[in-house]
Amino acid sequence: MSSPAIRTLLDAIREAGATHGELLFEIEAVLPVIRPHGEAVTLDWINACRTLFDFDREAGKAFARGSREAEKVSEVVLPWTRQALQIMRWRHSWPAIEGFMKNLPRAFGSLGHAGEERWAGIGMAWCARSVDCGCAYFTTPVLDLSGRGGGIAAIEQLNTPAEELYETRKLQLATFLPGAIRVRNLLGAQAVLPWAMRGADIMQSGRTRGEAYFRLESEESLALLLENMQGYKLADRNRLLGILVEVWFGENMELKESTWSPEKGRPFMEMDGQTLYFPAVMGNREEAILSVLHAAGHMRHGTFDRVAMRQMFADAKLEFPNEGTVSWAPIFMRFGEDAMRFQLIFDMCEDLRVESRLQKQIPNYFQRLITNARSTLARHPETAAYYDLALATAEDALRAARGEEVRDARFAPLYERSATLADAHLIAGEIFAENTLPRVTDAEAFAAAFLPGRGPNSTRVAHPQDNPDENSQSQPGAEQENQPDEQGEDENESPSESESGDQQDGGEKQESAGYGETSGSAKRSENRPDGQQTGRGPADKGVPYPEWDYRESRYKKNWSWVQEKRLGESNTTETNRLMKQYSNALKRLKKAIQSQKPTRMSPKVRQMDGDEIDLNAVVEYVTEKISGRSPIPAIYRRREMRQREISVILLADMSTSIMQHLPEGGGRLVDRIRAGVLLFAEGMEEVGDNYAIAGFCSKYRDNVSYYNIKDFDEAYNDDVRSQIGGMSGRLATRMGAAIRHATKHFERVESRRRLLLLLSDGRPEDYDDGGDRRYLHEDTRMAVKEAVAKGVHPFCITVDTMANQYLPQIFGAGHYLVLDHINSLPNKLPEIYLKLRR
Amino acid sequence: MKTATARQRGVEHDIVQLPQVGEIAPYYEPQGNEIAVFEAAYKRRLPVMLKGPTGCGKTRFLEHMAFVLKRPLVTVSCHEDLTSSDLVGRFLLEGAETVWQDGPLTRAVKAGAICYLDEIVEARTDSTVVIHSLTDHRRKLTIEKKGQEIDAHEDFMLVISYNPGYQTVLKDLKPSTKQRFIGINFDFPNEEIERKILVSEVPGLSHETAQQLVAAGRKARLLKDHGLEEATSTRALVYAAAMIGAGLDAVAACQVAMVNPITDDPELAEALMEIVNAHFAV
Repeated sequence: MSSPAIRTLLDAIREAGATHGELLFEIEAVLPVIRPHGEAVTLDWINACRTLFDFDREAGKAFARGSREAEKVSEVVLPWTRQALQIMRWRHSWPAIEGFMKNLPRAFGSLGHAGEERWAGIGMAWCARSVDCGCAYFTTPVLDLSGRGGGIAAIEQLNTPAEELYETRKLQLATFLPGAIRVRNLLGAQAVLPWAMRGADIMQSGRTRGEAYFRLESEESLALLLENMQGYKLADRNRLLGILVEVWFGENMELKESTWSPEKGRPFMEMDGQTLYFPAVMGNREEAILSVLHAAGHMRHGTFDRVAMRQMFADAKLEFPNEGTVSWAPIFMRFGEDAMRFQLIFDMCEDLRVESRLQKQIPNYFQRLITNARSTLARHPETAAYYDLALATAEDALRAARGEEVRDARFAPLYERSATLADAHLIAGEIFAENTLPRVTDAEAFAAAFLPGRGPNSTRVAHPQDNPDENSQSQPGAEQENQPDEQGEDENESPSESESGDQQDGGEKQESAGYGETSGSAKRSENRPDGQQTGRGPADKGVPYPEWDYRESRYKKNWSWVQEKRLGESNTTETNRLMKQYSNALKRLKKAIQSQKPTRMSPKVRQMDGDEIDLNAVVEYVTEKISGRSPIPAIYRRREMRQREISVILLADMSTSIMQHLPEGGGRLVDRIRAGVLLFAEGMEEVGDNYAIAGFCSKYRDNVSYYNIKDFDEAYNDDVRSQIGGMSGRLATRMGAAIRHATKHFERVESRRRLLLLLSDGRPEDYDDGGDRRYLHEDTRMAVKEAVAKGVHPFCITVDTMANQYLPQIFGAGHYLVLDHINSLPNKLPEIYLKLRR
Repeated sequence: MKTATARQRGVEHDIVQLPQVGEIAPYYEPQGNEIAVFEAAYKRRLPVMLKGPTGCGKTRFLEHMAFVLKRPLVTVSCHEDLTSSDLVGRFLLEGAETVWQDGPLTRAVKAGAICYLDEIVEARTDSTVVIHSLTDHRRKLTIEKKGQEIDAHEDFMLVISYNPGYQTVLKDLKPSTKQRFIGINFDFPNEEIERKILVSEVPGLSHETAQQLVAAGRKARLLKDHGLEEATSTRALVYAAAMIGAGLDAVAACQVAMVNPITDDPELAEALMEIVNAHFAV
């Protein structure tokens, strides 16, 4: 029953106008929960509703509507009513009030009364600074602000840098907050301020760039995140991971960096049947290594086996595509809203099956997995049941592997050697049907359900494999005849298939079927257009050089312009592949260099002159002399010091033509060039001579690019290696300008002999030579002459079999070499150098 | 009983030594028909070449065979500066006189011993040509400096070892040298034999530890293509087993015996340790 005072108030609202009817409706709906707090409180509350409604209709209605929950959680009315009225003090603050009401229950629930008051206080302080900031604050869910279990302290931590940046840099809270929350969650509170400071700097240089930074969408912000991520950086350990896979699986699997970035949530290893994709960073080393072994286990032990996949699709009454890639999505889509629950169960079953076989291959795999999983204490409340079940079943699988009795018989068939993917699918179906595991809807909870080292198995479109390994995948007698011979089919690129929510990065993956340029790191840089490559800003026209015009017999001044750049692309995967492919050649090369190092530090014995006496030789000399012979007095030892007497630039032609496929097959010319350059560099490291590596290409006279891959004084490191792996062809060949620029490079180097080693595949040409071949030939010839005059010795190695027609004129007899077999290039290149340097 | 390798210690003795009565043969576990091949070659006094990676048992095999055949064994470890006079002999000063001193090869030729030139590729090719006349039907050693020739003792036999892993363009035996030998290929023994070896070399080693060591060694050998000059050898496994036998923790023993010595590459070392940890750390 309402008191007369309340009734009067309500009547007043009713009469205030037609629009007030909506408010009245909301008030009356909530009134029963407010009434018990007494008449005075109720009157205040109704008045607040009215005041807010008059201030802004939506705000008033939102206030009334939100009151029910707020009252329920807080069990008071007046404090938050007062707070809402305070927020109203600022113009246009209605979104803040709406957000405030929406967040109230959570604020009370998670922060307590004191916390709520502080939370509202901070918000009002923001409103005082700027209403927009206040709105941004109140509309951000409290749980996001506080992080999981962070409480009011976490909000304060986030607020301090925000206030500082607002005061000093006028950084708006709306820009700052969403990204900052993610950065805080990923890297911890201490990382927020430096991250945001950098962002504010970027913001000053450009608004769009800055906003992209704060949205965590720009490269620089992601790179900064990656750099500061705690954990194990897989991207740096590519080689180790590759070695481990090879050790345990006896084969070389392709490892690529995935497109994962920190804001995408928990990093997982992924696989598609052909390639392993690793995230840049993982929690810790154990998790990373377990993940790699686990993912490789899936590849090896039949998760992508065509027969098993077909059987699974048949069991699910789904159509299995006969060729091309297969999307896992239909398997889960059948379960609609419950897809995540099924996926978790299915992944668990399949993981158990695969790991039971891994255990036989890798001793103590389960022990490691379990130890590591036990040490992780944080579980997501929603999926803790999955985590615990996964842990329990892993322990069970270990028991099974030891021949002990298992506790949970439901999973027992999976520990058998004969189990297939389809069996895992069936068992998952049974467990799903038991309906004992909670439903999962939240992506974060889903990700948290996996034991460290495991992960969703079906994030990528699968490439079914036809070659069951020695551990045959199919059960005896089953389906064997269905197995079509489709080897090679897998490599075709197939059109995108529809993918469910979990199959992130779908479009991206389809392209990964193509080989070559599209490895993880290369891809990343290729997405960036030329802007990145221009080292010193776009305004830089480069260095001008004259060009020889034979028609007028004179130099054209400042005619060709060379821009020196860094090679934007790098490709570690390719480098590693090449290093492996040529590892034997490399070993031989190094040995050969070591043994022929003419200036070795160990003494040469039995010399006719030298700075030390060779005792052996002396005794021999004396004895022979005494015994009446006349020996040669070669009784000295001589040590020669190693000296840097030669420096060399390897200048590679990077025109489009090097991208051609070799006529005899087996890849492209560029593969051989990369290998050659790589072997050359490795060899040079062994020789100890001073060297630089560069590439060049051109488009028109004013656009000659000189890519400095390794400079003289630069160390030969992984960065240089992966740049070599990323060398690719583009544009044309204005050789003269490149030679002049390389010659200029030598000026900085002190050495007696200077060798310019040109690696080319064709004649000098450019888009603007007007079809007059002779023009650039003559210019190149002049450039060579100029180089010789400056004490540089140019030497050209070419794979163009027609080169005999033009190279003699350009470089002069004996100053070039035509390789008749392209495949010999990698081995020849260092050898040629060694011969030349004698 | 003393083994042939455990003679009186710390006492000089001549390099030409017959196996003593009462000694037992150095332990050797045959991998294939190498014993039969060697015995046949010995019967005809044909020179033998032992090929195989470091630490797979070439030297031990020869010690064993020398003992079985009751011949003294003279070993010369070849190195870069080894000259032919280091093998054949040289004049030495004694007062105002010069005295000829036989080199190890000459001693063996005279005494009818088995002369073992270990890692012969390490020696410069010009110093190894002195063995040519010894390795064909002539069985003669020419001592150029004295202007003499020695016909080899009828029991004399020449054995060389070389490691194909070292093989390079520049460091290889001349084909003319190579083709004078009977070649026996060695490789790391199979798992079962390797386990046996570990157990007999390190008394008291548990069967399980031996098994784990051998399995880890096998995996470690797969890393050879990744820049390891030499793969984890049986000898390294024996050392690891010995360290374990001496009370060291298994992981540490493997690290000091199988990882640290063979690589300086931190990544390879890490990969090797992964293997060790997988087998031993629980």
